[in-house]
Amino acid sequence: MINSIFRFGLIFILLILSQVLLFSNIQFSGYINPYVYVMFILLLPIEIPSWLLLILSFALGLIMDFFSGSPGMHSSASLLAGFVRPYVLRLVSPRDGYEPNSEPSMITYGLRWFLVYTLLIVLVHHTALFYLEVFRFTDFFRTLLRVILSSFFTIVFIILIEFYRRGK
Amino acid sequence: MRSLLNFLARYNNLIIFLILEGIAVYLLATGNTYHNSRFVNGIRGVTRGIEEKINNTRTYLSLRDINDALAGQNVALKNKMETMVKKENPLFFSYTDTIYKQQYLHSSAEVINNAVNRQKNYFTIDKGSLQGIQVDMAVVSDNSVAGKIVGCSENYSVAMSLLNLDFKLSVRIKTNGTFGSLSWDGRNYRQAILGEIPQHIIVNVGDTIETTGYSAIFPEGIMVGTVSDFEKTGGDFYKISILLKTDFRKLHYVDIIGNMKKTEQLDLEKLFK
Repeated sequence: MINSIFRFGLIFILLILSQVLLFSNIQFSGYINPYVYVMFILLLPIEIPSWLLLILSFALGLIMDFFSGSPGMHSSASLLAGFVRPYVLRLVSPRDGYEPNSEPSMITYGLRWFLVYTLLIVLVHHTALFYLEVFRFTDFFRTLLRVILSSFFTIVFIILIEFYRRGK
Repeated sequence: MRSLLNFLARYNNLIIFLILEGIAVYLLATGNTYHNSRFVNGIRGVTRGIEEKINNTRTYLSLRDINDALAGQNVALKNKMETMVKKENPLFFSYTDTIYKQQYLHSSAEVINNAVNRQKNYFTIDKGSLQGIQVDMAVVSDNSVAGKIVGCSENYSVAMSLLNLDFKLSVRIKTNGTFGSLSWDGRNYRQAILGEIPQHIIVNVGDTIETTGYSAIFPEGIMVGTVSDFEKTGGDFYKISILLKTDFRKLHYVDIIGNMKKTEQLDLEKLFK
């Protein structure tokens, strides 16, 4: 228990730091802004109580807001991602259900499962985030393009990090 | 009572979600421009250390570029001084006279936090109200437009970058003086859009775009960029793309310009609105 709190605390800090120091500085042509920090919500244990999940994702978003000076934007997007996670997990559940005390990782459930799971949550998060950022529906399709391109890169980075974790 | 408890137990996730989302939306709704800058300033204490570290590293890595720019600026200033002293131009008098006719106050500052990859970009500078910075002062980088101050704390100020969907600037084409309105379309951090130029005006690629001074924020004649592309759309106006002179990814040192006669101009104009 204590061990896992410590571990997720470390993941939390590492993801925020890498987002602020690295991924927020990536920019190709203004369309691609990967937000890899959302991976924290993906990694939390499957049996985590949902109130804790909600509070953690809200805190995650709030800290990102502090760093990017955009009150409420990241908080509401990642809170939404945390809220839909149980439903996504139910939607993509493997035939024999989830193993007890497991984490939703690529190592346990395979690349294909992890990809679908990541895709759904990242899409929800990025859609909310980018439309909240622009806060208007003119240029609807351009924002949609930003959502799709940025989600693609976020997912690529998340999968790469997962492969690295598996390699260790 | 029991059914109420059942209801709460059943939907507790939804309730927590709605409460937290309410807080987030409240932050978002009150977080526009002015509040945003206050929020950012208030929270600076938390993130200042890390941001200053990042900024120090970045400044160090680009010292060579900054040196070159400063040397270039020095040469240009020396040349200017030379010609001015020799000509004894009476215009020079009115521009530098500190007692009678000075209109613009200059001050320099360092950018300590900057973003270019959002739709509404802001940057933070290391001077605030204690150093005389006020809201609605112009921010200029190497004699080209960078943004305007939207909020000040005691030692820091937040400026709305030109790369912000809400930023509008009155500019003109230097060769023929036609004025239009410059805005950013959120696509490319090197390009902005110039609108309201009628199609009978002759526009060439490479034409210089500069500020008009109508807004009482920016002085007249500060360069914005050059025309990189233009097309005739269906309406009466051109759609002109401007290559910005300021590279916002390399924004380090900026000048703040305050207009001492701004209130006078605005008060007078208010009478006729």
